[in-house]
Amino acid sequence: MTDTLNIRDLTLDFKGHSGTARVLHGISLRIGRGERVALVGESGSGKSVTARIVLGLLQELRGVRVGGTVEFDGRDLASLTRRQRAALRGTAMSMIFQDPTSSLNPVYPIGTQFTEVLRRGEPGISERDAALRAATLLNDVSIRDSGRVLGSYPFQLSGGMNQRVMIAMALANEPALLIADEPGTALDVTVQAQTLGLMRDMVAAHQTSVLFISHNLGVVREFADRIYVIYKGRIVESGTTRAVFDAPGHAYTRALMAAVPRLTGGGIPEIDDASADFLAPAVLHAEAAP
Amino acid sequence: MTLLSLRNVTKRFSTPAGDVLAVDDVSLDVARGECVAIVGESGSGKSTIANMILGIYPPSEGEIAFDGATLPARRSLQHRRLVQLVQQNPLSSLNPRRSIAASLRLALDVHDIGARADRPALMASLLAEVGLPASHLARAPAGLSGGERQRVAIARAIACSSPLVVLDEPTSALDVLVQARVLRLLNDLRAKRGLTFVFITHDLAVVRNVADRVAVFEKGRLVELAATEALFAAPAHPYTRRLISAVPVLTQDESDLRDRFMESLNA
Repeated sequence: MTDTLNIRDLTLDFKGHSGTARVLHGISLRIGRGERVALVGESGSGKSVTARIVLGLLQELRGVRVGGTVEFDGRDLASLTRRQRAALRGTAMSMIFQDPTSSLNPVYPIGTQFTEVLRRGEPGISERDAALRAATLLNDVSIRDSGRVLGSYPFQLSGGMNQRVMIAMALANEPALLIADEPGTALDVTVQAQTLGLMRDMVAAHQTSVLFISHNLGVVREFADRIYVIYKGRIVESGTTRAVFDAPGHAYTRALMAAVPRLTGGGIPEIDDASADFLAPAVLHAEAAP
Repeated sequence: MTLLSLRNVTKRFSTPAGDVLAVDDVSLDVARGECVAIVGESGSGKSTIANMILGIYPPSEGEIAFDGATLPARRSLQHRRLVQLVQQNPLSSLNPRRSIAASLRLALDVHDIGARADRPALMASLLAEVGLPASHLARAPAGLSGGERQRVAIARAIACSSPLVVLDEPTSALDVLVQARVLRLLNDLRAKRGLTFVFITHDLAVVRNVADRVAVFEKGRLVELAATEALFAAPAHPYTRRLISAVPVLTQDESDLRDRFMESLNA
């Protein structure tokens, strides 16, 4: 079966005043159908730019050079026109952002924004049908009083409620790929746990493939089937979540895991800032059959 | 020996929709040299408590005492020197137009620390204490990494030798490797300088590893107060158990610990 996403040897350069800066040094990553894959790394590692390339957003900027191939559902993104790439966004691929309240438009009620999303997938849908469909979708993310929510502005709802609305909208057009960039980081822990569980149930039910971008190893462990660890624009380790967490093979992965404070105690470990070992060749665990 | 004492502290804010009770009758003693964590979700009142300890606004009822003496609603310079603050985001707590030297210098000048001629050397030694080279003094905040900026904020907080430091989510904007190093630095400074910390955070795994005692807040009320070991061994309040069971964890041991509380919640 064709992978939903297949990235091979992806490079990214930004041209600036003082020359060219290489941000991605040849990243390869694949996501099978219905698979939940996490890209884990620190700020500046290149995880968010990778997502933006997949969405086709970075290629359009001046001073950006993208190399390698990105295939979405078997189609090379580079072979698509700008229009065709734009048509994929919000339909075949969609995105959930870190802060739900600021990624919704503050001056339109939720209902209006929901209709706009539905019209991307089905341009002719009537106002009434859109409202009915939105109510069903909100019901799927455990929002019972959908009438009130659809009539509200984002600032009138809690962060957790907005995040559920975002999840419902992102999955409204049955995308093949959902990109979630640090979802829930801006939320309280109990709300984060709830919305992550909800998101997992939803993508499992719809067989949606997910590219999950996060710096939080604990969240990744609970959400992803497979993970890629990225450091300074290079993949340093990949494998099933279980394999990587049970036997982290790369020095950087081990340092990341050691640095996370444990709920069971044990103090704060002594951590080197950066070690030459962090640039050692990647450790690729055997992939479980998809 | 009690350093900071909150006695029946209540804070009300008036809004067009009526009064909001942000902090509801809270009493809490913090001993000298102790690290007390204040834990809760948004709206729990933890930042309001921090602001009252810092004297940004007074309590509506009750009082705050330092070393046994009640602090007035309007604090003098001497009072302000007793408590310092480290905020979550050093990019917004340091003036972006000022060099690191100018930011540190201001703290020393305002509180008149040391002789004027000695201040440049004092600034260099403050930076050394937080693990930064003196060459960073000439830089602007934008020229430093997130971890380095937070170290500068810490250097500024210890500049006038305040016995008490309020840390408001000091590491939640940092990457985990940087977080570990900044937490170690804070631990070392506390031991070396005999500092007292009020550590505000939502991250219970951090709390487990840095705090002596934990105060759990829900909707402005102190719902549980216990020694860290005791709290994680047997959290008494359902809200505390809910908080602990929502923490994303890395190891099986941690999952087991969490699941135990989850079961007791469902029981």
